[in-house]
Amino acid sequence: MAGKSGRTISAEPRGTVKKLLFSWESAMVLVFLGVILLGNVISPYYTLKNVFREMPKYLSEIFIMLAMGYILVLGDIDISVGSIVCLSATLACIADNAGLPFVLVVLICILTGLACGCLNGFIASHFTELPTMIITLGTQIIFRGIAEVSLGPGGSISLQNKDAIKLLSRKIGIIPVSFFVVLVFALIFIVVLGRTTFGRKLYAIGSNSTAAKYAGIDVQKIRWIVFTVAGTMAGVCALFFLASTYGASTTTGQGFEMEVIAMCVFGGIATTGGKGKLIGGFFAAFIIVCLRIALGQINMNTQLILVIIGAMLIVSVLIPAIGNALRLARKKAEKA
Amino acid sequence: MSDIEASAAQQEDIILELRGITKIFPGVKALNNVHFQLRRGEVHALMGENGAGKSTFIKVITGVHEPEEGQIFLNGQEVHFRNPKDASAMGIAAVYQHPTSYAQLSVTENIFMGHEIMKGRMIDWAAMNKEAQALLERLNANFRVTEEMGALSVAQQQMVEIAKALSTGAKIVILDEPTAALTANESKELYRIVDQLRDEGVSVIFISHRMEDMYRLATRVTVFRDSQYIGTYDVDKITTADLIKAMVGREISDMYPKPEVAIGGELLRIENFSRQGFFKDVSLNVHAGEIVGLTGLVGAGRTETMEAVCGITKPDSGKVYLEGRELSIRKPKDAMKAGIILLPEDRQRQGLILKWGLGRNVTLPIQEEMANSVFNNEKKERQVAREYLESVDTKAVTIFDAASSLSGGNQQKVVVAKALAQKNMKVVIMDEPTKGVDVGAKAEIYAIMGDLAKQGYGIILISSEMPEILGMSDRIYAMCKGRITGCLDRSEATQEKILELSME
Repeated sequence: MAGKSGRTISAEPRGTVKKLLFSWESAMVLVFLGVILLGNVISPYYTLKNVFREMPKYLSEIFIMLAMGYILVLGDIDISVGSIVCLSATLACIADNAGLPFVLVVLICILTGLACGCLNGFIASHFTELPTMIITLGTQIIFRGIAEVSLGPGGSISLQNKDAIKLLSRKIGIIPVSFFVVLVFALIFIVVLGRTTFGRKLYAIGSNSTAAKYAGIDVQKIRWIVFTVAGTMAGVCALFFLASTYGASTTTGQGFEMEVIAMCVFGGIATTGGKGKLIGGFFAAFIIVCLRIALGQINMNTQLILVIIGAMLIVSVLIPAIGNALRLARKKAEKA
Repeated sequence: MSDIEASAAQQEDIILELRGITKIFPGVKALNNVHFQLRRGEVHALMGENGAGKSTFIKVITGVHEPEEGQIFLNGQEVHFRNPKDASAMGIAAVYQHPTSYAQLSVTENIFMGHEIMKGRMIDWAAMNKEAQALLERLNANFRVTEEMGALSVAQQQMVEIAKALSTGAKIVILDEPTAALTANESKELYRIVDQLRDEGVSVIFISHRMEDMYRLATRVTVFRDSQYIGTYDVDKITTADLIKAMVGREISDMYPKPEVAIGGELLRIENFSRQGFFKDVSLNVHAGEIVGLTGLVGAGRTETMEAVCGITKPDSGKVYLEGRELSIRKPKDAMKAGIILLPEDRQRQGLILKWGLGRNVTLPIQEEMANSVFNNEKKERQVAREYLESVDTKAVTIFDAASSLSGGNQQKVVVAKALAQKNMKVVIMDEPTKGVDVGAKAEIYAIMGDLAKQGYGIILISSEMPEILGMSDRIYAMCKGRITGCLDRSEATQEKILELSME
């Protein structure tokens, strides 16, 4: 059905293998392998068994990272997730202390996250002139405030029924159960974003929400859904957090939002929306986890580890900028 | 003999001359040995299709690009512009279609940005405001210098840009598609300002796709095509057909190929559509195979009405019938499902995702129809995208080319392909489909429109361009201040009648 001029347009994808090899995501895989190598060089204890043993306390954040990736692709941001973790964990502990059965405790933990996310999404989708940074800054304070009020003067609470939650911190061989759960969630999130019509809509909204609306996409409904999912994942995170700490306090989940945003950005997901792949964020998360474990094993000071991770983040976002600058310089040199 | 004498006499009057300019970008000759002469106090139109090299040429004059070859003479002296500052210091200023202003700053601040009036080391606000006021008065502007730039209309912002050019003492002002974003009235106001500049001895270079502008303003016109200089003509001595031929390189025998189509049954009917502050009591209908023009001044409520029909916004009241059945349209998807497809006015913002490839853009509204359950069927999408992009003759190499890399006319074709790919389409609403599109691509879009009518689609054409409305429509509705003021049949419609209905 060629047009009048008989001009044809190619529809064959080309250079896909090359593109894959030189992608940010493949760079992530290399860095990941580099971190493993580094761990083996600097620490004699950096065995598979030890790494898996120390992993659970870092794994729970990855649940939120997956949903944060969606939010960033939309061009939005959610900085209330850390507070949602705090509130979910707190209410779950209170339910547990009141003697409710474990199933209900789990349900309360996750549903609290869902409700918080739903509230964020409701505000974001109905008051579209408000930036989500500001909306979730507000709810961040509210959610943690509610948790602090519920916790009372002591400021912390412990689980009574620890046996049930230990189900989540069990191991299969040397690998913790939570690792498998993270893998399953990651697979689902990655496939949905990369391969489904829903994922395509997220990219469309993040690239140009007006054009997305004119193309028949219900932009506000989808934003609402994604914020709700993010809250729910914060609830899931809280559950696994409880499985490794057996309690909650006013500082639970503090800073999680920034850490997961850092993972996403490090993984190549742009905060401006419409760009990046979740698999990048996934590898970035494991790079950070494995690096933390390695540096922890040589007793490096926690604050110093944070400095290193921060520096890595800056360098990672600088790389494309440096690349562009080099290209410009080369062009100028050619001109002269 | 007399010709030579005349041109000798005019030698004195040449303020700007460019000879043998060649500009090469990696892999492309953007300008190939082009010439240009501008007389003092002349309005000189520069025309050509998109990609002909006009913009590059302007950037050479304003010092943004340095040409590889050629000479520039200003008042008979050879000059070299190494950067825009050099050109500006010599009295050359450009005003672009979309003013690159500082929306949050005042008019005064915008006018004097970069060349503030100083009193010692401090900005002399009083002097600047006074000077800005004087400039605005000179242009007969009806807004204050303290107003925020962002609060002004595009026309007013352009006026500020012109004032800015004058504030630097520009002797040559370049206007790049100044009327593209203006209403008919605003264009008239701009004409008046250009006339005034000319009378004050300023020389003006004027780029536009509108023949109307050229006839009204320019005394001479220079045409570029495919990076080459084609010729310079006296406006009153060249016919439109010859000018189009110069621009396109071939003859366009029939600019408006309106087919003779037997009009079928009623497809779409809108009854008593109202939305507070936008439109009131709008009723109209479209039949199968019919092209219905919807005209009026910008701001008359045409776009707003059609957006409400398509579920982009919600009307306060009114009913929509498609093939006699009442529709309930709450969101854009409802209208699309029913077969009412909108080609939005602002294709770069509303019609396309510029960063995306053409294929993805075409299949975005129909990805779900092609999907295997929830998963994208990429292979089928590529096939379909290619088929429709070819059917409208898009000038592109692959379907993976970014939409931003295409010219305006080709971007519009992608938007058309995106509509056609929605197989259940019955009524297509085209909102200013040829805005910013060059004359060759315009003719192609009209041809597509004619084909669609032949195939029995109902077409609503929203347009402010009189020749296009008169040339393509079977019936013409005119709107004014949110109301339909009349409906004219093709046989009875004239420019005067339409204007009368549009202005009231």
